[in-house]
Amino acid sequence: MTESWGQLKTFTGKKFKALDAEFTKEVSNLIGGKDLTACFQCAKCSAGCPVSDKVNIQIHEVMRMLLFGLKEVLETDMVWLCSTCYTCQERCPQGIDITDILFGLKNMAFKKGITPTGYLGARQSLYDTGRLYEPTDWERDDLGLDPVPELNIKDTKMMLDKMKLMKLEEDE
Amino acid sequence: MTQSYEVFLGCAIPSRFNNYESSMRAVAKALDIELIDFEGASCCGTVVLKSIDENSWLSMSGRNIALAEQRGHDIVTPCNGCFGSLKDTNHVLHDDATYREKVNAALKPLGLEYTGKTKIRHFVEVLYDLRGEIEKKIVHRLDGLRVAFHPGCHLIRPSNVAGFDDPELPRKVDELIELTGAKSVHWDMKLRCCGSPLLIASEAVAVKILQEKMISANGAGANCVVTNCPACHTQFDIQQLGLKDDAGNSLELPALFVTQILGAAMGIDSEPLGFELNRVSLDPIRDILGI
Repeated sequence: MTESWGQLKTFTGKKFKALDAEFTKEVSNLIGGKDLTACFQCAKCSAGCPVSDKVNIQIHEVMRMLLFGLKEVLETDMVWLCSTCYTCQERCPQGIDITDILFGLKNMAFKKGITPTGYLGARQSLYDTGRLYEPTDWERDDLGLDPVPELNIKDTKMMLDKMKLMKLEEDE
Repeated sequence: MTQSYEVFLGCAIPSRFNNYESSMRAVAKALDIELIDFEGASCCGTVVLKSIDENSWLSMSGRNIALAEQRGHDIVTPCNGCFGSLKDTNHVLHDDATYREKVNAALKPLGLEYTGKTKIRHFVEVLYDLRGEIEKKIVHRLDGLRVAFHPGCHLIRPSNVAGFDDPELPRKVDELIELTGAKSVHWDMKLRCCGSPLLIASEAVAVKILQEKMISANGAGANCVVTNCPACHTQFDIQQLGLKDDAGNSLELPALFVTQILGAAMGIDSEPLGFELNRVSLDPIRDILGI
């Protein structure tokens, strides 16, 4: 099966049509995006990144693409292979909330259907059960642990409906 | 003085690591920490949901915080993922009135409101405050245990959100570990992410990161890995089973929760410490643990 994500594999031979200043602005308005344009390409983010040697497009390149307003950034593998370790954000000499920006890019990509399939199942189970995983009752019995406190699933569903979690793609 | 918290377990502990909950409760009891069940808890909000939709994440996470707030309690969690998610939500909702209003509008029909009064702590933070008490209770020294301690990311980073330890040279949990007589070894991949959040996107990349970590831990002469997070532990006690380096040499090291080794050193019965549920064999260190 071809993955929907990570399709921009190299800059070599790639021609970008336009630099979209509106896109840079949109990203600057994300949680953590306010200092985006302070990036001066020192690449310290990539130096400490656990997946730098495992991705096609590295995090400092993602940052450059954002400043250039290149929406193709959503098709890079860096977006979904960010492990959210926050090392780049902790170390950025310009104080840019890089990891938080990547969360926003993931949100944008998800709406466009650019996402590893595992996230679709995770969304469904978070919506249906309010949890990612169900308790293993026999282990809890063996250890004398009480049942996990009950959750009224109507409560979380009401909120997630309000946020349109199951209809995110419709906004595109 | 007895400390009292609502205990936020999250999803991974009741599903995969009930020995973490059980050992945490045993250690808490020995230290007179009161743990109140978290009625109505959902998933913490999780980086998974934050990745999909930040508004949904903030509302799910904000609801949990607001529940504890309504009951007048602080929150303690033994999971880095839950800690990070709840603290991060606190951070965003505190700083940004627009998100706070949005989340509170979603909470209103449930009779809840987020104001930010509730403190959110990791269980190891509470333990660190009680290190003097713990030291007095050590009855079984774990001499010979050489620990590769893995702090995990969201316990310490971003430091302006986590607010627990030095993000580049964390020492607090290491201090707790060394109270037992164990040695916390220096390993160069200590601060690196375990790779666990990538299991959903690419298991191959997640396991590659684990392999790099385990080569480092073995090279440093560790005879076990210790964590304080069920998400990290998924890597160290499940993905690690049968893990080899590229030349085919085994990289397996026993993986323990910090509460299990503290419990063993404090002379707590081994049954609630749940060692029989550890998946990677504990045989190489059974004698040291006294089990």
